[in-house]
Amino acid sequence: MVYGLFLVSGLAVGSLYALGGIGLVILRNSTGVLNFAYGAIAAFSAMFAWQVTDWGLPGVISWISAVCIGILLSVAYGRLIAPSLAWREPAVKAIATLGYMLILLGLIGFIWEDALRRIDLPSDKIGLSLLGVRVTLTRIIAFVVSIAVVIGMVQYLRRSNMGLNMRALADNRDHAALLGIPIVRTETIAWGISGALAGFTGLIFGSLVRLEPTVITFMVIPAVAAAICGRLTSLPLTLAGGLFIGVAESMLTLYKPAAPLRTMAPFLIAALVIIWMQRGQKLTFAKEV
Amino acid sequence: MKLTTTLLAGAAALCLASFANSAAADGHGPSCGLNTGEAATGEPIKVGGINGNAPPGDFSGGTDAAAAYFDCVNANGGINGRPIEYIVENDQWNPELAGQVAAKLVNDDGVVALVGNGSVVSMAVNANLYEEEDVMVMASGCAISECYESSNIVSTNQGPLPSGIGALTYAVEELGTKNAACIGFNIPNNGGWACDWMEDYMSSQGLTGTSILMDPTAVDLNSVYLQALSEGADTILLMLPAGPAIGLLKVAEEQGGRDLFKWVSPTPLYEPGVADVLGDYWNDNLYIHIELAPFDSDGADNQNWAAVVEAFGQDGDRRDTFSQSGYISAKFFVEALLELDTDSIDRATVSDAIRAINGAESDLLCAPYYVGDADRHMPNSTGRMVAYTGSAFEVVRDCFAIESSYFEPIRAQEAALGITQ
Repeated sequence: MVYGLFLVSGLAVGSLYALGGIGLVILRNSTGVLNFAYGAIAAFSAMFAWQVTDWGLPGVISWISAVCIGILLSVAYGRLIAPSLAWREPAVKAIATLGYMLILLGLIGFIWEDALRRIDLPSDKIGLSLLGVRVTLTRIIAFVVSIAVVIGMVQYLRRSNMGLNMRALADNRDHAALLGIPIVRTETIAWGISGALAGFTGLIFGSLVRLEPTVITFMVIPAVAAAICGRLTSLPLTLAGGLFIGVAESMLTLYKPAAPLRTMAPFLIAALVIIWMQRGQKLTFAKEV
Repeated sequence: MKLTTTLLAGAAALCLASFANSAAADGHGPSCGLNTGEAATGEPIKVGGINGNAPPGDFSGGTDAAAAYFDCVNANGGINGRPIEYIVENDQWNPELAGQVAAKLVNDDGVVALVGNGSVVSMAVNANLYEEEDVMVMASGCAISECYESSNIVSTNQGPLPSGIGALTYAVEELGTKNAACIGFNIPNNGGWACDWMEDYMSSQGLTGTSILMDPTAVDLNSVYLQALSEGADTILLMLPAGPAIGLLKVAEEQGGRDLFKWVSPTPLYEPGVADVLGDYWNDNLYIHIELAPFDSDGADNQNWAAVVEAFGQDGDRRDTFSQSGYISAKFFVEALLELDTDSIDRATVSDAIRAINGAESDLLCAPYYVGDADRHMPNSTGRMVAYTGSAFEVVRDCFAIESSYFEPIRAQEAALGITQ
């Protein structure tokens, strides 16, 4: 029974990691950028949603605004900064996003003074009991959306022209350009989708965990671990990785000596996955994707 | 965000003085230092202050209040005619920067003391420097062991250990607690330190205490809550800053946890904006130990703190426990300086004057304040309990001393100084 409690709790947190990881993988699949600013974009979006509510506007506007701000911040980087790094190594592209993360974190601190804040969603009040744990509708939404996004994006990438363009870019940016694929448009859409997911994740995270910009920003770390479980390419494996990390982290709580160290779980799992999946194969950062 | 505040006598002080005097005329104005109404114009006395104000938190309340009080003092005769030049630095929670700004203040600026400090990083990094240079720090916002176990740091706020044990004392005596879970950060000189002593306290009472330590950025607060449930605890002590404590309370609210545990907390949850984020669910089910007088107390010093911050503070200044604490530190510091020969004020005489503070009283504190010459300082180890009622906090137990074997050396110091808690 007690394992059931922690399993359900872990799945709820894992779905947040998975959501973050999925947003990272979608972007990297089409642009080659591992976006470490993903968490900061999520944090900015969540803070903006709170601000909109604080202005007295209806909740639905604040939720939509979170997604819109996520898109705006993500596309801004994708259009203004990322193109000048398009031909650099993947590691350089990833490190550049760390700079964007620090800029956003600084902006958040400048705009919003440190204070107690909270985002309440109507779905927080609705829930059901599962294996002894009350699971709110917000957590169910996070779980369902993460699965729906994986299914939707897999289909989108397989069946739509834009999906084909994204896959072509992911395979070889030079060849895609020579074939006449609209690179800027394709990448802008990828940045937009990733930003929308960051905005949504920030909103849910701010409600379920806590509305603290730093905590939301560094949510990108377990999200990257989830993405690594999917080898930065596979959405279904990223989903599975995120859920597994969440459950492992939760279950470690039951073993008291390991409980204070359970935040290491994402790194350990990611490291083990890298070692396992890269047996004699290509290195993740070895070449341009 | 304020990186450096420099208080100089001059036009600004004259304006402030005239404002203060007009306020004082109606009986509600601030009272500071010599209270002459004349701006100090002599040679400035340099005093430093270090706060941490950057994500993830703003601990500037202590230096803000100290700055306001020093401003008020400068507008009212200063230290026998000499104004205080208060130089505040922000270490941004960066250990390297904390070391640099402390070295600047102590070595380059030559401050005679530091007052109102509110940075746990700075305390950990610079405790040795303060001792080597024999500069005293009258801190106001601290939460790690170094603040309370160093010869040259004396903090007016209690930090998690006394305040947490105070909350637990109330839980044991009034709520029937038998088995408490202390949820704190997995930081050895913070959560680990405070929760270890909580376990020691529970053990001394023949009761059970369990530490549940989590990473400061932990996301799955649900698991933390469930761990407390699986430990069989009947009480949860939230040994956390306000933000994560609120997060945990929200998880507990989701799980209907209000009635499964007794909920107690040290001071961090006693914050003006807490009702806006907690709502009504926790009404009369959350008890908080407070280190200083309630914000709405009608005590003379509490009223003066509010008046000083209102008249001399900035719009964005925090009005929290750290602010009250900064005011008290600054006030006792000024009282100590006023005892000195004005021309002999330097670091050595100021350090001695601070160590000589004994039996200073304020309605913000439950017991007399003292410093003394010792290898550790914890002058504030009494407090009150309040119950969260949604719209307000209601005092449910007035001043009481907190007892734990941790305080044995502290009580010995107090006995030697003739102070009774």
